[in-house]
Amino acid sequence: MITSRRAFLKTAVLSGASLVIGFDGGRLRQATAASVAGSFQPNGWVCINSDGSVVLTIGKCEMGQGVRTSLAMILAEELEANWTRIKLLQAKPSADSDLGTGGSDSMASSWKPLRQAGAAAREMLITAAATRWKVDRGSCKAVDGAVEHSASGRRLEYGSLVADAAKVQLAENPPLKNATDFKIIGHHTARIDGPEIVGGKASYGIDVKVPGMLYASLERPPFSGAKVKTLQEDKAREVSGVKSVIKLPRGIAVVANSTWGAIKGRTALAVEWSEPPNDAFDSDAHWKKLETASRETGFVTRKQEPPPGTDAITKTIEAIYYYPFYAHAPVETMNCVADVREKRCTIWAPTQAPERLQKQVAQLLGIAPADVDVNITLIGGGFGRRLGVDYAVEAADISRAAKAPIQLLWSRADDMKQGHFQAASVHYLSAGFDAKGAPVAWKHTKAGSFHNISPLDPKEMRDAAWYQDWSWGCYDVPYAFPAIQTAYVAVDLPIKHGPWRSVFAPSSVFARECFIDEVAQGQGADPLAFRLEMLKGADVIKAGSTTVDRKRLRRVLETVRDKSGWNGASISQGRGRGIACNAYFGRTYIAYVVDVSVDHENNIHVERVVGAVDCGLVVNPVGVEQQMEGGIIWGVSSALKGKITFHGGTAQQSSFADFAVARMRDTPAMEIHIVDSDAPQPFGMGEPPVPPIVPAIANAVFAATGTRIRRLPIHLGQPKSALSPNE
Amino acid sequence: MSKIDFTVNAARHVVEADDDTPLLWLIRDNLALTGTKFGCGVGVCGACTVLENGKAVRACQIPASEASSRSFVTIEGLSPDVSHPCQRAWLQEEVAQCGYCQAGMIMTACGLLHENPDPSDEVIEKVMSDSVCRCGTYSRIRKAIRRAANEMRTKKP
Repeated sequence: MITSRRAFLKTAVLSGASLVIGFDGGRLRQATAASVAGSFQPNGWVCINSDGSVVLTIGKCEMGQGVRTSLAMILAEELEANWTRIKLLQAKPSADSDLGTGGSDSMASSWKPLRQAGAAAREMLITAAATRWKVDRGSCKAVDGAVEHSASGRRLEYGSLVADAAKVQLAENPPLKNATDFKIIGHHTARIDGPEIVGGKASYGIDVKVPGMLYASLERPPFSGAKVKTLQEDKAREVSGVKSVIKLPRGIAVVANSTWGAIKGRTALAVEWSEPPNDAFDSDAHWKKLETASRETGFVTRKQEPPPGTDAITKTIEAIYYYPFYAHAPVETMNCVADVREKRCTIWAPTQAPERLQKQVAQLLGIAPADVDVNITLIGGGFGRRLGVDYAVEAADISRAAKAPIQLLWSRADDMKQGHFQAASVHYLSAGFDAKGAPVAWKHTKAGSFHNISPLDPKEMRDAAWYQDWSWGCYDVPYAFPAIQTAYVAVDLPIKHGPWRSVFAPSSVFARECFIDEVAQGQGADPLAFRLEMLKGADVIKAGSTTVDRKRLRRVLETVRDKSGWNGASISQGRGRGIACNAYFGRTYIAYVVDVSVDHENNIHVERVVGAVDCGLVVNPVGVEQQMEGGIIWGVSSALKGKITFHGGTAQQSSFADFAVARMRDTPAMEIHIVDSDAPQPFGMGEPPVPPIVPAIANAVFAATGTRIRRLPIHLGQPKSALSPNE
Repeated sequence: MSKIDFTVNAARHVVEADDDTPLLWLIRDNLALTGTKFGCGVGVCGACTVLENGKAVRACQIPASEASSRSFVTIEGLSPDVSHPCQRAWLQEEVAQCGYCQAGMIMTACGLLHENPDPSDEVIEKVMSDSVCRCGTYSRIRKAIRRAANEMRTKKP
């Protein structure tokens, strides 16, 4: 189905039995017999067939954010389509496509083009019907996959109109529906792929099987520069099903006729790697570097001078916050099917970055990107990990050497140890107070590292905007301190690291939202009331390219205050309540009130979370709720469960046993409130729920114990009563 | 290599495999039933859970040598049309996000309800905490299990 995508389009148009509209790059284009023979090869298109079915290409990758459903909803709304007749096709990358899925951008960027495409098709279908009936098109209406003429009671299904509609002049700026007329958008809609998922029929990367496919497992150097000391190549070849042992610069691949043969063959290799050098990467040493760096001035990403008349600082408080390395640990480990032939290659991959994949595989093989045919599969958890394409490049390299299509599957240990980790960072914060005790200055310096999943362009202008991009949640501090200085200090990080759910925001927002609690505490103020107080003043503030609407942030704070029964942070002995909020890129606004309990052994449990979200116009409420719940659980994992540490250049964790993640027993009661929004368009929900949950948990732990949490994951250590009298 | 003679979804299969090949890979590679997922290979994530006599077992922990003459049900065999009470409850509670772990979750829930048709929240939590969902769908899984349990009990005479 997928490989014949363009052939499908051509057949549909040439047969004259379909209406096809492309919507790449914000411009509508109509497919005609002449154009499909030539340059009309859009990545985004909608096709309405004579049988009444509607085929929509989805350019975004589905990894659990529900994007297939929500994008189809937007199209169906404007098209007045029958929801049950919508079918989806996954788009493929091409020279001018931009199918990358990340940054919680899918809704914001697809909203307008999909509405326009749906509306244009609707208008053309109405024109076709009115012409056939010889009536004024203004008296016709599109309803549920058909055009109706209520005066005469006539009705024509879309399928019977497409041939005529395809000859109607394309409406380039069709009228869009009023939000008050929405029948699908804003309504609870079941996932379009739900039945396939619960029936075990949904096909992820790992499920791809192509004729003649072999299976591969790759033994990689445990640290950069590691050399093979010994290996048992013969033993590996003796394993039944093993076809070949291939030595590549990136590791030693075992290729077999089954997954198990490849895994067993790799084990039989028993590779002994050289010892790491003394200066191999070590996370403790890196922490020290980050800590030192956090006290440097760095690149100032935002500087707001105090207005004249601001009183001098007479007192300063400061704190350093430490944020660790984390793995993504999606349940589907990295995998890819590659079929390298003479001068071309076909890839099937669960990827968030199909264009990057295409480019890097082409580079490896010395062929043109257009000769790398990339098929995007369902993704069993993305979280930013699959913006890196290392596993696809490996698969192509192995397929080329094996001269066969191969599926490369990473083991769980491979996935934990060889990931593109969330990088550690250290944050120095200080707040200044005047003689009357009023807060007058805020300073936040983040010491972190630039991503290295693809090389940085040395010619790129490294201005404030560039540095701001590495410090979301830091430079865009929403609070009304008269003086603000934020800065970024880059520290070299030689291990692979890249985007993780919410990218740069979680560390900065953890530090910011915990430290604002410290400031409130210093004022003797209620931390929630203090935040609201500090969000007064101008409703809209600009910080670099980000516009923060304090009104929207106040509203989510007020909502969780009212809905949680907030009555101060302290609840009772061993129980505490915490608050945190964030404006994600100035787009999606979220606040949480978290209740935690701390037992006599200092075990922390998140009991209850009340969340409020303003993500603009809501397309699918169930999708918003799911992402809030999922973001909360993600935060429970990073606040209370595993972290990654490095020694000898290697991650020391290898499984869900030593990199623990939240389980059902760790799941709090959750109450999600979607706040009515002034924003006329939808914003993303995959990432925004994550950043404020960890600081809300940390602040609740403080409320319960009196211990400030400045390191993650949170460990309170042995309770005092458990120590022997001699200690 | 041995001949492994086993039954999956009521169909008998004879495959050639090494004795130590985990049942998971026989199901996925030999039988091409890919609904049963690989997640960890060491029995700690639950993605590969299948049923044997109604009980949940982990396919990555059963070697081929022990699979012979046994009978298993995978997610594909639970119902032909996603009509099993657990599958329907999963849809009604809108559980899935990426969906990758959900086949294992559903099979684990089926095993739980087979042994305990009216599990308390504590029991649900204890049993289901042996499985990993990185999207964080646990609260909906809990609701779906309660819903399925109710439906299965009321249907019984």
